[in-house]
Amino acid sequence: MFTIRCPYCGERDQSEFSNGGEAHVTRPKDPEQISDREWSEYVFIRANPKGIYYERWVHTHGCKKWFNAVRNTSTDEILKVYKIGETPPPLKEFKNTIKTPSGEPDVGSGNFSVKKP
Amino acid sequence: MTESKIYFKFDGKKYAGNEGDTIAAALLRNNVRLIGRSFKYHRPRGIYTCGIEEPNALVQIINEHNEPNVRATVKKIYEGMIVKSQNRWPSLKTDLGSINNILSPIFSAGFYYKTFMGPKGFWKNVYEPLIRRTAGLGKPPKEFKSKSIHQHHNVDVIIVGGGLSGLLAARKFAGTNYDVLLVEREDAFGGILKNANKIKSINDQPTDEWLEKTERLIRNSNNIKILKNTLVTTYNFSDHLIALEDKNVGKPQDNEKPELVLHKIRTKHTILANGHIERFITFRNNDLPGVMLAASFEKYLNRYSVVPDESPVIFTNNSSTFSLLKSLTDLGHRPKAYVDIRDQKNIEKETLELLEKFSIPFYPKSEVEGCEGQKEVKKVSIRTKKNKISKIKTSMLCVSGGFNPDIHLFTQSKGLLKWDKDHLTFKPDRIFQKTITLGSVSGNFSYEKLLVEVEKKLSEFEGLNELEVKFELNGSEKFQIKELWETKHEKKSIWSKSFIDLQNDVTTKDLRQAVNEGFNRIEHLKRFTTNSMGTDQGKISSINALGIVSKILKKDISEVGTTTYRPPYSPVNFSAIAGRSTYEFYDPERKTPLHSWHVKQNAVFENVGQWKRPWYFKKSEDETMHQAVQREAEQVRKTAGILDGSTLGKIEIKGKDALTFVNLMYTNSFTKMKPKTGRYALMLGEDGMVKDDGIVCKINDQHFIVTTTTGNAASVLAHMEEYSQTEWPNLNVYMNSITEQFATFNLSGPKSRVIMSRVFNDIDFSNDQFPFMSFNNFKYLDTEIRILRASFTGELGYEIYVPPSHALKLWQRFFISSRDFDLVPYGTETMHLLRAEKGYIIVGQDTDGTVTPLDLNLNWMIGKKKKDFIGKRSLTRTDIVRENRKQLVGLVPVDKTLGIEEGQHVIEHKDLSLPIKDPVDMLGHVTSSYFSPNLNHSVAMALIRGGKRKIGSRLFVSTENLNTIAVEVVEPNFIDPKNERMML
Repeated sequence: MFTIRCPYCGERDQSEFSNGGEAHVTRPKDPEQISDREWSEYVFIRANPKGIYYERWVHTHGCKKWFNAVRNTSTDEILKVYKIGETPPPLKEFKNTIKTPSGEPDVGSGNFSVKKP
Repeated sequence: MTESKIYFKFDGKKYAGNEGDTIAAALLRNNVRLIGRSFKYHRPRGIYTCGIEEPNALVQIINEHNEPNVRATVKKIYEGMIVKSQNRWPSLKTDLGSINNILSPIFSAGFYYKTFMGPKGFWKNVYEPLIRRTAGLGKPPKEFKSKSIHQHHNVDVIIVGGGLSGLLAARKFAGTNYDVLLVEREDAFGGILKNANKIKSINDQPTDEWLEKTERLIRNSNNIKILKNTLVTTYNFSDHLIALEDKNVGKPQDNEKPELVLHKIRTKHTILANGHIERFITFRNNDLPGVMLAASFEKYLNRYSVVPDESPVIFTNNSSTFSLLKSLTDLGHRPKAYVDIRDQKNIEKETLELLEKFSIPFYPKSEVEGCEGQKEVKKVSIRTKKNKISKIKTSMLCVSGGFNPDIHLFTQSKGLLKWDKDHLTFKPDRIFQKTITLGSVSGNFSYEKLLVEVEKKLSEFEGLNELEVKFELNGSEKFQIKELWETKHEKKSIWSKSFIDLQNDVTTKDLRQAVNEGFNRIEHLKRFTTNSMGTDQGKISSINALGIVSKILKKDISEVGTTTYRPPYSPVNFSAIAGRSTYEFYDPERKTPLHSWHVKQNAVFENVGQWKRPWYFKKSEDETMHQAVQREAEQVRKTAGILDGSTLGKIEIKGKDALTFVNLMYTNSFTKMKPKTGRYALMLGEDGMVKDDGIVCKINDQHFIVTTTTGNAASVLAHMEEYSQTEWPNLNVYMNSITEQFATFNLSGPKSRVIMSRVFNDIDFSNDQFPFMSFNNFKYLDTEIRILRASFTGELGYEIYVPPSHALKLWQRFFISSRDFDLVPYGTETMHLLRAEKGYIIVGQDTDGTVTPLDLNLNWMIGKKKKDFIGKRSLTRTDIVRENRKQLVGLVPVDKTLGIEEGQHVIEHKDLSLPIKDPVDMLGHVTSSYFSPNLNHSVAMALIRGGKRKIGSRLFVSTENLNTIAVEVVEPNFIDPKNERMML
């Protein structure tokens, strides 16, 4: 459980929000003109990385507004929130925070509660 | 001092305790040692500790709704409390389950995984009932209505633990601008000051006096809130903690007040001052009643004034037991023996002096090899310096294997640990959140250094108080320990076991066996042996297990690592988690404006989402559901019936670009549609699958009202909002839910036009004036209603939308105006039957998120000329246009007397081979099936592979036994295929 700063209402509990998956997946302008593969990449394929991720959130139990956020999926830190239509901040702004303090690998989870020598 | 006695019952016998006693303290006061039987082997078990870490002394509180697995070392007694021991039959002293101990060779690690494999049917009939009877701890509690509540806090600082370190921190914050929450799990502050005899005085005052003064000071400062009897169980991400407060400590349950409060705390800084836990040492029969941790023994002396035993044997590998020795001799008691594995030259001077002064038998460089006794310790067997066995008669053995900082919460917060070579334990290293550890939890066991630590770690805060504290100690505070996790067995017998996890009955032999079998990673080993997986989470033993495993693996203990610490720290009652969200408060109930009428008419209700909808109406007491539904369905097609459709979702869409938006949301084309008409419409997901259906009514190009299925009302609105905000923010469109602004009646049947004309005698309902799928608004009394001609039954039908305040009167007027037609109110089940007769789908019943409009033969609803709508592109994907997709068909049994069951498989062949050896090819499944009173046989719909091409052929439907039912595959439209009735 963490808090999210809604760009319209301010900081609220996570339980008031719903996650809307990856942000900035643009709906093709002319769907009829693209191949099955391109279309299904838009519909089904998402990055889902461990680390920094552009996400969409909606303040479901609040103002019902959608907005974008940059979240570190391995630490759940929300690094930035910005309104729909605003330019996304470049990812390199947030370097060096991909890993958890336990030094887990980039993929998968594990037990690393003891600091590696 | 006169102390009032408190009487309670344990296993039927009455005992007296003092006020403030825990069950364990009171039982020890009465010399009761045997408390329960163990989980697997049913071995006798007693009281091992004096607190939350207790693995053994779990009891059941009978007068608290049978609450099981209560720690006797935590729960306080009160007058009339009824306590029972657990996991024994017929009684604690003669327990038949203890035969498991003799059978123990077969109960080794991985026993369940390896043993209960066959023969077939044995699991269900033999193994499971047997295991359920003999394994486990307490019996489940009886049902009771929880009155627990949740409370939320937003603070600057939370201090976890009101022991010495926590109080020093609180003292620094007292009267400052910081909003502080101080949480203590016991009913009194003080921690080690109350438990042990380590500190003589503070600022030249007795410790009790200092405690009292400090507490008063903290209490009087208005920036610190104090929670006692409150255990922090969880330290989540982003500085969020959960704590459980027991409101009924030392009191019987009050049926009016909350018994537990779950505190949800959001903080800016967390100060962990939650101390340490003593660990044990494994030796032969280290589980016998009478074996107790040394610091716990001392806690009973100092906190509860109970002397568990006047002359115990003390066994240690470190210097901390001096404090116990001093406490005991101060009280005039003399331990039977003092066994220390360290060399005499390493043992502290003050200890040696005390031992000599009271001439206590002293065994340096020796170890306890085991204990003898059936139901409790009778003899302790010591391996002396010269490797000789010496036996001492005693009834109690106090053990200290060192101390572990209580790192559970720290690691929950994702902090990192490191191995402390001086104290032989893990201690916090790197923080992840804004965490400060103070005192023994940080690995600092020195009082002198504590003051420096507090000053240093709190220096980031501004304007804190100065501390002036001076300690005078009993003895030196130098801590010295020698590594020892397990002593060697001297004797081998079935009875002789060395336990590493007392609650789950895991022995050190199990650990070795697990490693031998390849489980050499600590997380695997834990799950295979169930080590530290009990309700105590191995608080006194998990580090010992790591020590033993590291020796077997010949690795450094820090390489072995710890298992993952997960919340909660200690079990949390479900009732506390549920809080007020139980029974009628679990989920809101939504009722239509006609609910009271339905109740009076003996409606049986069905839950549809949060709504209560009439399922069917019972005409007489003995009418069955089937009879009622058949009667209702027949009457609708004979004259007319009326359904309360108020739960249908209604969304109003307005704006300059409303038409464009509705065109994008639904498959149909609404551009050429005339105002004041409606259209049955489909909503797809971007994947082309049917998401919802409803009627789109066009008032004009800037104003639409759409209906949704009852269950999807919220998600359809959310779906529209999402697209309007994220994908097409350029469109000028607004939408709003108006579900509850209108009650809806669905009138249906050949007589419905006559009835409508009688109820609204100034409206012309003729085909010319009121054609199918048209609507209009009309004045009705002092309000306005909307009437739409539509049908979900295939009969002539009207939908009436009326403000809720006028709903009941108007509804009654329908019945008054149609007495000669026997207008029948019908429920959802009849509605389902009637629409199935027409082959109309129900989204969510005949579809499941993998069904496209093409699969449903609803191609006609797709606006093919539209450039785009949600899901359009997907409808031409190769997988969607594939011929043998599952498609909707109708099924009619060949033998018209037979009924088809919903959910059954549709198969190609009549006979199923017996026994079934090869997989049976499943063509699809039955989605809807009803007995039609109007056709006098069953009608069903099914989604089957390549269904469209199979129309006219014969297939089979499985049944609950191995028989099959032959069915004709037909178009899914059973009554009036030309739709003449609704155009009437």
